Amino acid sequence: MVILVIKNGLLIALLLVLLGAFYFSVQDLELMYNTFAKNYYLENGFYQTYARNLVTGIYLDYRLFDSIFEAGILLIAVSGILWISKQDIEKHNVHFMLDKFKTPDLFVMFARIVYPLMLVFGFYVIVNGHISPGGGFQGGAIVATAILILYYIDPNKETDPTFIVSIEKIVFLLIIGFATISIVTKGTMFTNPFTVDNIEVQSIYLLLMNILIGVKVALGLWTIFTAFLKEGR
Amino acid sequence: MMNPILTFLVVLIGLYGLSTSKNIIKSVFCVTITEAGVILLFLNLGNFEGGSVPIFLEGLAEIVDPLPQALMITTIVIGSTVTALALMLCIKIFHHFGTVEWEEVLRDRGDL
Amino acid sequence: MVFVPVLLIFIPIVCGVFIYLIKHPWIYYLSLLGQLVVTVLAIFYYQEFSGQYSETFIVFGLWDERIGISLRNDALSMSFVFLSIFMWWMVLLYTMYAKEREYNFLFFLLFLEGVFLGLMQSNDLFNMFVFLELITLLVTILIAFIKTGESFRAALYYLLLNTSGVLAFLLGIILLYNTFGSINLEVIKSQMHLVYDEQVLIKFAFVLMLGGISVKTALFPVFTWLPRAHGVAHSGISALLSGLIVKGGLYMFLRITSIFEGADFAYHNFFFLIGFLTAFIGVIFALSQKDIKQILAYHTVSQVGIMMMGLSHVDEKVAFGGLLHIFHHAFFKSLLFLAAGIIVAQYGTKKVAKLRGVFKTMPILSMFMIVGMLSITGAPFFNGFISKSVIKYGIEGDIRYWLLYLVNIGTATSFLKMSQIFFGDRQLDIAKQHVIHYIPLLVLSLVCIMFGLFYIPISDGFFGIDLSYVSLFKVSGFINYGITLGAGFLLYFLIVKKDPIFIKKLRAFNLSFDKANYLFVVFLVLMTMYFVI
Repeated sequence: MVILVIKNGLLIALLLVLLGAFYFSVQDLELMYNTFAKNYYLENGFYQTYARNLVTGIYLDYRLFDSIFEAGILLIAVSGILWISKQDIEKHNVHFMLDKFKTPDLFVMFARIVYPLMLVFGFYVIVNGHISPGGGFQGGAIVATAILILYYIDPNKETDPTFIVSIEKIVFLLIIGFATISIVTKGTMFTNPFTVDNIEVQSIYLLLMNILIGVKVALGLWTIFTAFLKEGR
Repeated sequence: MMNPILTFLVVLIGLYGLSTSKNIIKSVFCVTITEAGVILLFLNLGNFEGGSVPIFLEGLAEIVDPLPQALMITTIVIGSTVTALALMLCIKIFHHFGTVEWEEVLRDRGDL
Repeated sequence: MVFVPVLLIFIPIVCGVFIYLIKHPWIYYLSLLGQLVVTVLAIFYYQEFSGQYSETFIVFGLWDERIGISLRNDALSMSFVFLSIFMWWMVLLYTMYAKEREYNFLFFLLFLEGVFLGLMQSNDLFNMFVFLELITLLVTILIAFIKTGESFRAALYYLLLNTSGVLAFLLGIILLYNTFGSINLEVIKSQMHLVYDEQVLIKFAFVLMLGGISVKTALFPVFTWLPRAHGVAHSGISALLSGLIVKGGLYMFLRITSIFEGADFAYHNFFFLIGFLTAFIGVIFALSQKDIKQILAYHTVSQVGIMMMGLSHVDEKVAFGGLLHIFHHAFFKSLLFLAAGIIVAQYGTKKVAKLRGVFKTMPILSMFMIVGMLSITGAPFFNGFISKSVIKYGIEGDIRYWLLYLVNIGTATSFLKMSQIFFGDRQLDIAKQHVIHYIPLLVLSLVCIMFGLFYIPISDGFFGIDLSYVSLFKVSGFINYGITLGAGFLLYFLIVKKDPIFIKKLRAFNLSFDKANYLFVVFLVLMTMYFVI
């Protein structure tokens, strides 16, 4: 018991050293804070990317390369989880009891109202990502949550994850494809391909990429949840 | 000035939990806490009083820095996928070993 | 031709997704085709741009370089790119026609290749963070691919420990961004000496970033994930991990310390000590293990320590020795892992005590494995001798020379113990094997010997560094090797063979995850106190 307290006390002391170092760093930061990036985005962000929402402008135009790999990480995680969760032939040490679980009727009734509202709200967030706060990633998560409500309504609903993952792979290839189209029009990669100075035309690209990313995220999260549910059966 | 320090405290609490938890599920959640702390820290350092949302409207004077927000979208997605993969591995470990304590799982079994 | 770096990243990824999408038996060959295209492109790119490394800078979207993401190549990254392409050829050939090869496996393997090539060429800090996390996830899935109990626990341990390391790296990036206003490596490097004035902020960012990188590089005290992970994975994956992915951490170490050059931290002695501790403890643990793949995995830890001992030197020649050891170790360690994989598959057991008569049963394989063993112990005419000699030359006449000698003796002892598998009578009839599995072994052995003999033209042509002071035929080299082997023999017969209590205790030593994290925190605090205060 005493050893435990000593060990924990030592750990707390070590962590306090880190806190102290951070405290002095923040004091230095207040003197050295550099606002170059923020001013650049304020002055040029809208005029170069035609996105009112500067955050969308960053992750769809200035740093599109990162967003491609972010979509890729979702694909990898989904494929990895599907592969690991396939029932293997080895012996199981524990047997699960299938619990007989029935959703209460009140829940089902409210879910019927909430489900279409959430779906519409999710699509709204995706489509309006370049004008108001939101975007592909955020809207995709909302749409995935809406789909998951269906699982609460009907716990025995079965979907085939491999088909959904195939759609997701095609969407990933489409994202890479649309990102590299700009090499033909502008001579460089991973940026907006349209060169016309019309905000409507430029918004087509932002809208398209947001929808693709939203669809990908929604499908990915849906598949992860399905894999977890199947594991428990 | 206090905000970044309190957020770093969250990170340290997550690290403390990681260093003392004997249960695998607890470790996974401590990683989530640490990750949340780091994300909040980045956003906090870019924030200041009186700054407005980074939506461009003509005549806007001061905005909050939009770059940390874009970077943290990526980090949140990465964090959630790491948690999902770790939890799936936890389930599989439970199938094979029958326990979720680190000491028991990592013990050398003679029949390997 | 300017876009070749991007193609190098995306061709493997797109091939992988196609293989995963179209599940037809002939789509396997798409992986080889993609690999061939990547090799040809890399060779043409190198020939066109070698020497003019300012031209190889690409900014995506042609934005201001402080805002956009950029890729940059120089001699260091190009050499790593060639090493990665070569290693992936070896693993693809080794796993061809194997029973375990499936569409998913190829998908993960090719995606890992694309991401790793991206990490080598990236010039943007947050981009490197995303690539590091991707590599962590992919390696976790590849370790857990064979779906045995041990592989799951090894994969989870790896995932959680590396995630906390990469989070420390991200904390460092946050502090640097808020100071410099940009996350481009070149911009930070050029402004570092203007901004730095003994602030705690820059020092703390340095500590955090290097602490995160050392988890990936498996330095002392956070190396405990490596023996588990590399010991239980499929042999092709173990070869790739030990040979290449760990070196990714060392590459990041070189890049991060080059950013902080303007601040002039005195990190050399500290990391030399850490390197020595890693090498020494790795060898001691390797002596106590009985499982052939665990022995090889612990040797990876100790060789990484030797590399760190070389790389952390102020003197450029010794640092080049460390870099050379990275390449040589990739060759001979993957050779050993692949050969051990074939042996384990044939005999059905991993314990060294039960493996006997390998020389009589599979003579060709034994020849390859003997080449690997001679290389790792540093025999003349093989490549291990060259890199270890370069490191030794720099630290001659110092106590550090004797520390390196000690580690070499330990390595020799352990491999003498392992060479017992060759003696004995023919034990079993071998199952039918594909010739194509032996091609990587042959190529790697030839490369080991080639680098051991022709090191002067190779290092002059590729890096422009003159190695003519390392003479191959000096008698002292042979005498040194003889002494090392002799001391190894003595150590083996006197101590290790008897299997005393402390070796048994070392074998049963298991660091639980919470204690491993505790050590990580201790490591961070030690570095803070050394550098900041």
